[in-house]
Amino acid sequence: MLSQLKTDILAVTSNVNSLLAAMSYFFTSLLLATLVVVLSVNSLHATENESFTSTQQFQLHGFLSQGVIDVNGSDFVNDDGELSTELTELGLNASYQFNDKFRFAAQLVYLDGGNRYAQGARLDYALIDWSAYNNENWQANIYLGRFKNNHWLYSSSRDVPFARPSIILPQSVYFDGFRDIAVGSDGIAAKISHSTDDYGNFDWQISYGASPISKEQTKNILSEYALGDAKQDYDSQTSLYWQPDFSSWRFGISLLDAGFSYQGADNGDRFYDAQFNFQFYTFNALFEAEIWEFSGEIYQQRFTIDGFYHPSFKIDNIGQGFYLQSRYKLTPRLTLLARYEDFYLNKDDKDGEKLEQESGGLIPYYFGFHKDVTLGINFDVTSNFSARMEYHWVKGAGRLTPVVAPNPNINNSEDWQMWAVQLMYWF
Amino acid sequence: MLLLWFFVTCQVSAIEVITHPHVIDNNLTKSQLRRIYTMRQLRWSDNSAITVFVLPSQHSLHQRFAKEQLQIFPYQLNRIWHKLTYSGLGVAPTVVESEQALIAAVINTPGAIGYLEDMTLAQVNSNKNKAVTSEIAGVEQAPVMEKKQQERVKGVVNVVTIKD
Repeated sequence: MLSQLKTDILAVTSNVNSLLAAMSYFFTSLLLATLVVVLSVNSLHATENESFTSTQQFQLHGFLSQGVIDVNGSDFVNDDGELSTELTELGLNASYQFNDKFRFAAQLVYLDGGNRYAQGARLDYALIDWSAYNNENWQANIYLGRFKNNHWLYSSSRDVPFARPSIILPQSVYFDGFRDIAVGSDGIAAKISHSTDDYGNFDWQISYGASPISKEQTKNILSEYALGDAKQDYDSQTSLYWQPDFSSWRFGISLLDAGFSYQGADNGDRFYDAQFNFQFYTFNALFEAEIWEFSGEIYQQRFTIDGFYHPSFKIDNIGQGFYLQSRYKLTPRLTLLARYEDFYLNKDDKDGEKLEQESGGLIPYYFGFHKDVTLGINFDVTSNFSARMEYHWVKGAGRLTPVVAPNPNINNSEDWQMWAVQLMYWF
Repeated sequence: MLLLWFFVTCQVSAIEVITHPHVIDNNLTKSQLRRIYTMRQLRWSDNSAITVFVLPSQHSLHQRFAKEQLQIFPYQLNRIWHKLTYSGLGVAPTVVESEQALIAAVINTPGAIGYLEDMTLAQVNSNKNKAVTSEIAGVEQAPVMEKKQQERVKGVVNVVTIKD
């Protein structure tokens, strides 16, 4: 009886999996087909002298990018360390203005990043934007539906290749393993913008919601042996940005509080029911001049586990980090990038030795931190087409998946490197 | 030498900010213009919607307009606009390929704002005035308004005065 049930469940799971695979294939084909159609229609549009009012109400935009990436010494992209083409990012979005007050916007993306995140198409955002109040100095908008995280420096444009500073972002903030959870939420968000001649521009945002967590993500974040269900209970965030009037500087702070729960599977799960809490506070600054651009974020996170390994297991870690980035415009089209990133998971164990001791040697010390030196170059070929290349020297395995139960067999080296080249087109 | 310098600077034409003839705001401060182009001000003073047109980011006129009129670098505008367009937060300006397409867009879109080189504007007014006016029958200006704004209105589009 039990074995029959097991077989049934397996059959159902495999059906669901093939259905999901088929859906993913369908969406990807649909996305590609639509992109091709849109591109050809776009080139037609350019030659027509049509009414611009309709193009204002309904807008279609998108991007195509492909690259190659080679990682040596970690499983960041693939397990075998070979040169990989798993660096594909496609997107298509639409915005429709119903009337003065309401707008609908949605974006479909297809991502392939190897081990970095689940391969496939996803609904990136789909929201109703209510322009609740609007005058010369104030704007208040309420967003309902699936919205993007707009609280950190690059959180809303992390999947948009040409809108972020590098191919691979600083992993301590924009950890690809957390991408699908951190990139946005299903819920409600609000943005209030105030622009003054005396004090500059203010943007205040607040959001509340949750993200669905797939089986694959559960395995990526927790452990490949986690058979139960992980779910995000809530994600509440707020941020404030200030740019003094006509200043090259902009400053921002953000706060995040999120709760997760894990419900162990009834049979064969080696893990127990658990509650996880994640808090994240950031301060960021951006300086933009004609030739130089500087930006940086400094942050602290608190991660607690209650259960999981054992019903009475408890952990409460405070991690800290920062990155500093500079970009130099050699010519109007050619930009150089240099960045240093330093992050440790436990501020009382910066070199990870306690981690190694407490795990009885199972988790090597270098899983306690992540340091990355990045150099890159970006060439804007046209207003809509760019090429980018970069090299990373990384120390530590603190930002590799799975997170909660790491895999030191593949990630057996403290130092690892990667380089990547990417071509990007957008419209 | 001084004369030569004067001659060279005169070669660089001025940039004019233009709007659809029905837009009632004929003067804008630099701050207002910047707010409009960074999508922080979405409505004219009569509460009608503003529609912003720009040239491609590598177009030399766009680069000059950004630096001279908005006092912002083109890459900063791209950062702001890309964020709006690809994160669902809002709508960015519409990019048109040439100055001619930009004039057509501003003439045909109520609430539109754009920019031109003054030489292009003069050409438009002398060469295409009649043709364009007949093309856009229905959006011709009231005679009273035309008289009142003779200084600012140079033909089929409004020319906006930018103050500090």
